[in-house]
Amino acid sequence: MDLEIKNLSKTYSNGVQALKDVTLSIPQGMFGLLGPNGAGKSSLMRTLATLQQADSGSATMGDLDLLNDKAKVREILGYLPQEFGVYPKVSSYNMLHHIASLKGVSSKGERKDLVESLLTKTNLWHVRNKSLGTYSGGMKQRFGIAQALIGDPKLIIVDEPTAGLDPAERVRFHNLLSEIGEQTIVILSTHIVEDISNLCNNMAIICLGEVVAKGNPAVLTEAVKGRIWKKAIEKKDLEKYQDEMQVISTHLKAGQTVIHVLSDTQPDASFEASPSNLEDVYFAEITSRMETISA
Amino acid sequence: MFKEIFLFEIKYRLGRPATWAYFGILVIFGLFVSIGGNGPASEKVFVNSPVAIATMLSTISIFGIMLSSAIMGVPVYRDIEHKTENYYFSYPVSEKGYLLGRFFGSMSVLFLVSLGLHIGLIIGFAIGPFAGYEEAERFTVFNLWHYIQPTLTLYWTNFFFAGCIFFALVSLTKKVMLAYAGGAILFIVYLVTVTLTQDIENKDLVSLLDPFGFGTYNNIIQYWTPEEQNTQTVPFSGMLVWNRIIWVGLGLVAVLYTLFRFDFQRFLSKNYTSKKKNDNLDSPNTSAALTKIPSVSKVFSGSLNIKLLFRLAVMEFKNIIRDNFFKAILIAAVLFLFFDAWFGFPTYGTPSLPMTYYMLEVKDFTYIILIFILIVFMTGEVMHRERNVNYDQIFGSLPIPNRVVYGSKFLALVMVSFILVNMILVSGVLNQILKGYFNFEFDKYFTDLYLIEFPRYIIFIMLAFFVHSLVTKKFMGHVIAIAIWVLLFGLSSLGDVNNNLYLYSYAPGYTVSDMNGFGHFGKAIFWFRTYWLACGGVLTVIGYLFWKRGTDTGRKARWQLVKERLNLKTIGTMAILLLIFIGSGAFINYNTKTLNNYRSVEAGTIGAANYEKALGKYDKIAQPKVVDVKINADLIPEERSATIKAKYLVVNKTDEVIDSLHLNWGAEGLLKKEVKSFTIDGKAPKLGKRFDDYGYEIYAFDTPLKPKDTIALTLEVSASYKGFPNEGSGSTIVYNGTFLNNNFFPSFGYSSVGELTSDQDRKKYDLPIKDYQLPEQTDPWGTSNLLFNDDADYITFEGTVSTAPNQIAIMPGYLQKEWEENGRKYFTYKMKGELDFFYNISSAEYAVHREVWTGKNGDKVNIEIFHHLTHTYNVDRFVKSIKHSLDYFSENFGAYQYQQIRILEFPRYQGFAQSFPNTVPFSESFAWVGDFSDPNDVDYLYFVTSHEVAHQWWGHQITPSATRGANQISESMAEYAALMVMKKEYGVDAMQRFLKDELDRYLRGRANESKFEKTLLDNDNQTYVWYNKGGLILYGLQDLIGEANLNSGFKAYTKAAAFRPEAPFTTTIEWYDHMKSVTPDSLKYYLEDSFEKITLYSNKVTNASYKKLADDNYEVTIHVESAKNYFDGNGKLLKEGSKPNLLEIGIFDNDIQNEQGMTIKSPILLKRIWVKPGKSTYTFTTDKLPIRAGIDPYNKMIDRIPDDNLVGLEEASE
Repeated sequence: MDLEIKNLSKTYSNGVQALKDVTLSIPQGMFGLLGPNGAGKSSLMRTLATLQQADSGSATMGDLDLLNDKAKVREILGYLPQEFGVYPKVSSYNMLHHIASLKGVSSKGERKDLVESLLTKTNLWHVRNKSLGTYSGGMKQRFGIAQALIGDPKLIIVDEPTAGLDPAERVRFHNLLSEIGEQTIVILSTHIVEDISNLCNNMAIICLGEVVAKGNPAVLTEAVKGRIWKKAIEKKDLEKYQDEMQVISTHLKAGQTVIHVLSDTQPDASFEASPSNLEDVYFAEITSRMETISA
Repeated sequence: MFKEIFLFEIKYRLGRPATWAYFGILVIFGLFVSIGGNGPASEKVFVNSPVAIATMLSTISIFGIMLSSAIMGVPVYRDIEHKTENYYFSYPVSEKGYLLGRFFGSMSVLFLVSLGLHIGLIIGFAIGPFAGYEEAERFTVFNLWHYIQPTLTLYWTNFFFAGCIFFALVSLTKKVMLAYAGGAILFIVYLVTVTLTQDIENKDLVSLLDPFGFGTYNNIIQYWTPEEQNTQTVPFSGMLVWNRIIWVGLGLVAVLYTLFRFDFQRFLSKNYTSKKKNDNLDSPNTSAALTKIPSVSKVFSGSLNIKLLFRLAVMEFKNIIRDNFFKAILIAAVLFLFFDAWFGFPTYGTPSLPMTYYMLEVKDFTYIILIFILIVFMTGEVMHRERNVNYDQIFGSLPIPNRVVYGSKFLALVMVSFILVNMILVSGVLNQILKGYFNFEFDKYFTDLYLIEFPRYIIFIMLAFFVHSLVTKKFMGHVIAIAIWVLLFGLSSLGDVNNNLYLYSYAPGYTVSDMNGFGHFGKAIFWFRTYWLACGGVLTVIGYLFWKRGTDTGRKARWQLVKERLNLKTIGTMAILLLIFIGSGAFINYNTKTLNNYRSVEAGTIGAANYEKALGKYDKIAQPKVVDVKINADLIPEERSATIKAKYLVVNKTDEVIDSLHLNWGAEGLLKKEVKSFTIDGKAPKLGKRFDDYGYEIYAFDTPLKPKDTIALTLEVSASYKGFPNEGSGSTIVYNGTFLNNNFFPSFGYSSVGELTSDQDRKKYDLPIKDYQLPEQTDPWGTSNLLFNDDADYITFEGTVSTAPNQIAIMPGYLQKEWEENGRKYFTYKMKGELDFFYNISSAEYAVHREVWTGKNGDKVNIEIFHHLTHTYNVDRFVKSIKHSLDYFSENFGAYQYQQIRILEFPRYQGFAQSFPNTVPFSESFAWVGDFSDPNDVDYLYFVTSHEVAHQWWGHQITPSATRGANQISESMAEYAALMVMKKEYGVDAMQRFLKDELDRYLRGRANESKFEKTLLDNDNQTYVWYNKGGLILYGLQDLIGEANLNSGFKAYTKAAAFRPEAPFTTTIEWYDHMKSVTPDSLKYYLEDSFEKITLYSNKVTNASYKKLADDNYEVTIHVESAKNYFDGNGKLLKEGSKPNLLEIGIFDNDIQNEQGMTIKSPILLKRIWVKPGKSTYTFTTDKLPIRAGIDPYNKMIDRIPDDNLVGLEEASE
């Protein structure tokens, strides 16, 4: 059962257009949303998570109308917002129990098993009786993941879930997600490109409220294959290069500035071909648009 | 450093909208008070007089605690709140620079904001004369000093003090909560001092302890006359200076302590102590990868929703009661409740027994205000619970229906209010236990708290929910909800809007009584509660529609939500609630307006003006007078109705022919009267003219009544209540405790009682200003009528009354017969001899206590105390007072005219005692439940009973004429008589505190006079003159010329004037002549000063010391200052007295106790000396160690500062 989003638009009361005619088809499995800060990722996710009204458009999952049948959506939803808080004086064990009961897990025994396995799964077992207020950032994030997984959600929306996790936790979380992603739709937003290429079969890049690219990450990468060139330059020359060619990103490597340029042909001999990756796709899509805005 | 932080603070604050919001509120408040003339000035005081301005400033500065905490609590806390402390303190800033900068910056802002009030007032007073809400002549010229002076001495000092405390508390504890809790504590300290002020002996202590100097200030201005209030600023001297030094000093100490105590490191260190070591066991766990998440079954059903509703509600409830702010306010609220109940119900400074109704009534003192605030704040917390901890997004996406979430929050608040009503029960019972009162009437508690008060709190919650749902900003929500309440309060108390139908949550007041329980109030309360619950319900549903779930705050998005939520269920619920709301509203309106003729305050005033304009022409027209009354009354208390038949014999006592009878029923009241039959001389008379609005009817006699003609009237009237009124209870016929008087029947001709009296109102409605209600002492109409009733002189009386079988019915006279018939109890009474035309018909379930008084000549008087079954507490005191009074009065004034005297208890819907011929009704809450266990508390029961018994002579034997000053003959004399009984019982040395009480009330009364003060000879409506000045002056007179001597004059007067069969009736001229005849010429000055003029002394001891002499004697030197000033009625100084006055000078030992255990004075030496005005020095020798010395030490003279008359003595240094 795919999630079909059609022509979704949203303008906030302060005039910012957060979503412009977004159309996406999201199949089972992991779906990555990539985009710079303020691109509209969170807006899209909040809209799907019933927390926000859309101005126009539709979102459906089979028969289920996501925008209007909020009560039904909430029954199958697991949501982890980008920023969230907790009741500081409640333990994670009790809080998960409570949330499980709110999510309709009414059998006590089932609830207990569920909560305990989630605590183990998210590596919070040893601190399950500590109040949430004492949790470190990573522990809190893991708690957030645990609560999103309660109750067999069919649609999981996680907004930048790995922010604040250390590398080991991040890996573990990725494993967990992909494990779940086998049977459900998991929408994951991030601005870490690598996460998407590692995890997702499908993705979309959002910029300024619009979907600028969508598809399989490998396929998308294929499209820029052989068109990415790199060169180490003096920092002072950067502006000159930006004027002359489409510089999509600059990196520092061993103290030198390395630029990546998108071009169908080799700009000049001083450039060497660079193996393309998803990051180049992302920057290629983003830079041109952001420049248009700032120009 | 300091400068940068200081300036940044000011700039930051000036950029905050809240700063301007506070400022704006003050400006608006100032405008409201000044333009509308809603300030504290009485009618003769300019609305912008210096004292009125100072009173407003100091009152607002008390409420300014809130402002102080809002502004001074946050400057340091801000760095914690915004998490800037971590880097801010890493800058090269010194602690002192930081603190002082923030402190002075914020304090400057606080002072600036506080000036909003001045701006509002100044602008308002400039506009006021032209705005038309208040007469232009009530505004005086602008004088900047009148604002500056109280600002410096009271207004800013209070802000400074409170600000310092809040600043210190928050800086030291890092808890912004303390700013609020500290506010509550300040309020409590304030309450306690206010309560102590009721006992005037503690004035100096109160003056020092009042943190806001308000009591201090009031002690200074309390006796100021309108003239003084208009011209003088409050002197910054004496106690006020000390008070300010203490409290400003305390504020400074707190800030200094903070300054030395504060350091950044301590401020930054988090409190880990309470938590265990942070187990940082964030080790990878291999089991994680292997664990499978079990699949679960999910149920979403109605029954689960109900379960969830309660589970969430309980959780939310626990969250609320764990909240520290909640706890702090609740503790403060309950303390108020407890102390209000503990101190709350003194009469003349004497406590009352902790009756259950008192314990219940305190809920409407301070508690209700704090409860409302608590409900608003807690609703805000609950509505923002998830958003506050940023959990709203997770929570919002959980599959719980909106109605369950919203409903659970509502239910949680309902549970909290249940706790809140029970606090009243707990505090009440605790009070009763601590006071040793164990008659717990839980039925009263439960009925009042659960059935009446609890729904009211729910109505409050509904409003709070509505506001907090519509307004998504928490603070804004608080402000709006509280503003709505303040607006309601302002409308009802200042704006004269009193229709409960238009004031959210309002309902008619009710009184719980021991005699009559919850009486007849239930119906009105039920309907009003239904009405407002339905209204609140509609608001709650609207709130539900707008309630924010999710993250979208845009207007469009919220309207979209409303549309989504508007379904059959919500519309249906709203429709039903609306139907109930409108239906019950219509029913209430039918009851209050159609049945009971509700009128707004203004309509009432216009009605009174029209009454005078339409009917004034009938004032003082010739009408016949009643000489004989026969009553046949059937009371049906069970149904609150009565049918009474009166047979009057009336005589034309005038020299004119009277051609028509004017019956004045008065405008229709709550008691609906229906005339069953009316005959004149056996025939139904013809109605000539009827003024429907005023119930005034004119009937022409078939044959005009010639002088001395007698004619019989019969009137049969049945009366009952219909529905319920907007306010007022209609309490003359009740289930238990009916109390009717002759006003049941119409009076003859126009009565000036319903006229407007205020100069301002009379001017507004084009009526001439009326300085006096009564004509001069020589007026022929005045002297040919009696003061209390011009429809009769003295009458004869008999009658039969029937009532419920378990009740006793009482009328004037001696019980002739008592029987039961048709399940009713009948009583026949007949009076021997005559009485003035003033009778009562009472009925209640009474217990009767009987005793007999035997006089010196062997004459006997039956004493009967008709009291409520359980009110046996003070019955013996009544008897004692009656006996002592009969002793003194029959010996000194003449024989008692009847063979019985009865005291009756009636329900506490009214709170007075009154004297009818041979019967004295006492209200239930007056004296019957007084707690007289401490002999030092005034035994007002003894005093008031004696006063009322004295009226049997002064009022009922000598009934004065309807002329100016005549009230003194009844009231001043009764007051004097009661003081003399007190003196005989407690001794002359115990009298000072009673005299000082009289003095205090007199001085207070004249300070609040809205016309002009009258003298004892011509006063016709000022109670403070006829009771308090009268009592004091007559006591002083007997002291000066001798008790026996003065009483001989009064005895002669009684002999001459008692039961005078025909006009001219007695006036103050005759009364005064009798006093003059027994006063030696040397002391006549006292009579003139006291009776003909307004005279105030200013006596004080400037210095007094003693020296031990060789022969174990002591030489005492007393330096005194004395002045006697004459004032006009407005309090303007006319003349200073230049002649010497005979005053008492005394030297005292320590106070001792008399037989009754009362603390009294112990004079070593008392001398009456002619003291000349100005300074004098006196030297005396005593044989005992002198402790204190004074001039007029018993406060017999009228003196505005009675406390400096007596001072402690010091040993003179050689």
